[in-house]
Amino acid sequence: MTASDDRESALDTILLEAEIERFFSAEAEMLDERRFDAWLDLLHEDLRYWMPIARNVRFDKPETEYTREHSEANWFDEGKDILRKRVLQIQGGDHWAEEPRSRTTHLVANVRVEAIDGADITVKSRFVVCGYRLEHDVDLFIGKRIDVLRRVDGKLKILRRAIYLDQSVLLSRNLTTFF
Amino acid sequence: MRATDFIDLEAGTLSREIFSSEEIYRREVERVFAPAWSFVGHTSQLAKNGDFFLSRCGIEPVIVSRDQAGAINVLLNSCRHRGMPACRYDSGNATDFICSYHGWSYGLDGALVGVPKFRERYQGKLEREKWGLIRARVNVFHGSIWATFDDAALSFEDYLGPDMQFYLQALLQGPDGDDDGYEVIGGLVKWQVACNWKFGAENFAGDHYHGYSHISVERLSVGLSGKTSRHNFAAAKTPRQAMSVADPKRGHTIRASVFKDLAGYDVQAGAPDEVNDYYLKCHEERQKRLGDKARLLIHGGVIFPNTHFNSAGRTTIGLWLPLSAGKTEIWRWLFVPRNAPNIVKDTLREYYLRYAGPAGMVEQDDMENWTAAQHGTESLVARKYPFNYQLAMGLARPARADEWLGRDVSITEDVAEHNQRAFYAHWAERIADTP
Repeated sequence: MTASDDRESALDTILLEAEIERFFSAEAEMLDERRFDAWLDLLHEDLRYWMPIARNVRFDKPETEYTREHSEANWFDEGKDILRKRVLQIQGGDHWAEEPRSRTTHLVANVRVEAIDGADITVKSRFVVCGYRLEHDVDLFIGKRIDVLRRVDGKLKILRRAIYLDQSVLLSRNLTTFF
Repeated sequence: MRATDFIDLEAGTLSREIFSSEEIYRREVERVFAPAWSFVGHTSQLAKNGDFFLSRCGIEPVIVSRDQAGAINVLLNSCRHRGMPACRYDSGNATDFICSYHGWSYGLDGALVGVPKFRERYQGKLEREKWGLIRARVNVFHGSIWATFDDAALSFEDYLGPDMQFYLQALLQGPDGDDDGYEVIGGLVKWQVACNWKFGAENFAGDHYHGYSHISVERLSVGLSGKTSRHNFAAAKTPRQAMSVADPKRGHTIRASVFKDLAGYDVQAGAPDEVNDYYLKCHEERQKRLGDKARLLIHGGVIFPNTHFNSAGRTTIGLWLPLSAGKTEIWRWLFVPRNAPNIVKDTLREYYLRYAGPAGMVEQDDMENWTAAQHGTESLVARKYPFNYQLAMGLARPARADEWLGRDVSITEDVAEHNQRAFYAHWAERIADTP
């Protein structure tokens, strides 16, 4: 491989990461502007949306630190059908945990392409989600995300989202926002 | 303090102050929590010798362990030397617990087994047998593990009373009516809410009335059918009688239904075929095992003071753990039928996750409302005006002799604040110096 091939491949990665960063920024804006239907359109029909619960475990048992999907308790472990219901719940004006609605700001950073497998791109990132609610309520959620994005007809869709929250005991009463 | 300072059973009113007063909270710790038997976990969490997990007994942090002889221990998680937690891992398998401060180490049964400089500086004189971790009294009831640190407390059986033993046994029976029918799935759900613990307790004790809280999930349906309600039993065709059942002597409360007959099975109505097939088979077994008592459907309840449970197609047991008058940590154990196929376990698991806890579409609205209600207990003016617990007052009846609903219980059918009144009456007795 020549030096110019290397440069070409590095540029490809930078361009792809820039595209994904823009995609995540647009997604965050949809959530913060409460354009939830547009957000649902970003989700692949086969999406798995998973947020495990963190446990405090011994250094030599790191594989047990997060609860497993499909078998253990999790904050979220569901598909698009349930997320659609969550959106409909917020949109109805009768979901008191989000009525009146919270003001959220989603920040996504450290976006890095981890692997490319055909149409699927595995991306690692970090998130900060701030939620302010009513007069005095503050929620702060910080953690890591691993997404698998699939290119469908030229557009990126979220096929899998693993959300690793750094808290173990949830220090907020509710998780009514999306990550 | 007198019980009548807080509750007026004739008027059906309750002081708001009991939700916000730090002084009352401190009395609760001593008079309500310390003498109680508390759910601390389930034997399925301790499959192998050496397995352990951290829990709470009352509000005390404990290690629950299965030692090398197979016995279950509940140990105060506080090193006898300087009070550090002897164990700081949520769960695992171990041979001992070593305090990270000075290195005192304890066996799975709490015995002090290692003391650095035991010979050199304690001159071999430290009486190790006196300095083990503090052990709680332990009782295992159909797989559920209970404990108390109060040596003067009643026996577990007497604390529960015969009626609550019947309901707790029924709760822990598998869908086929078999005792020890459930296992815990991995991972406890823990979160914090800025409200007094009793808002949770009274809601689980007997609030059949708060349908308005959950109109969004009634509209959307989060039950197994995806078509009706948040509850699977809402799709049942057999008529049933909802009721609040309280043991006023002990403060325990149950929300339940009794089906009119045993004809049809439809408690998990609308479930996917494979799940429904399993429950149909279980239903036949359950009828054979339990006979007429198979008509009972437990919705939920509270074992006084803070052990709460939900049933009716999704079995969870949890704890309200007060951190102060205005702040509570909630812990939940999620159960699935031990012998069910994986598809059943997974379907139920997903149902809990979308129903319960801080990500649960149903309970989110409870937490929101309890937090808001807490504000209503803090204003000086508002505190002069008690809360109203008059719903369906005067309609209670004792259990009839021809029923198997209990000996000491009182019952109000349909929507009522019957159980809340019983819960708070017992609470006030415990808190007060005089009636």
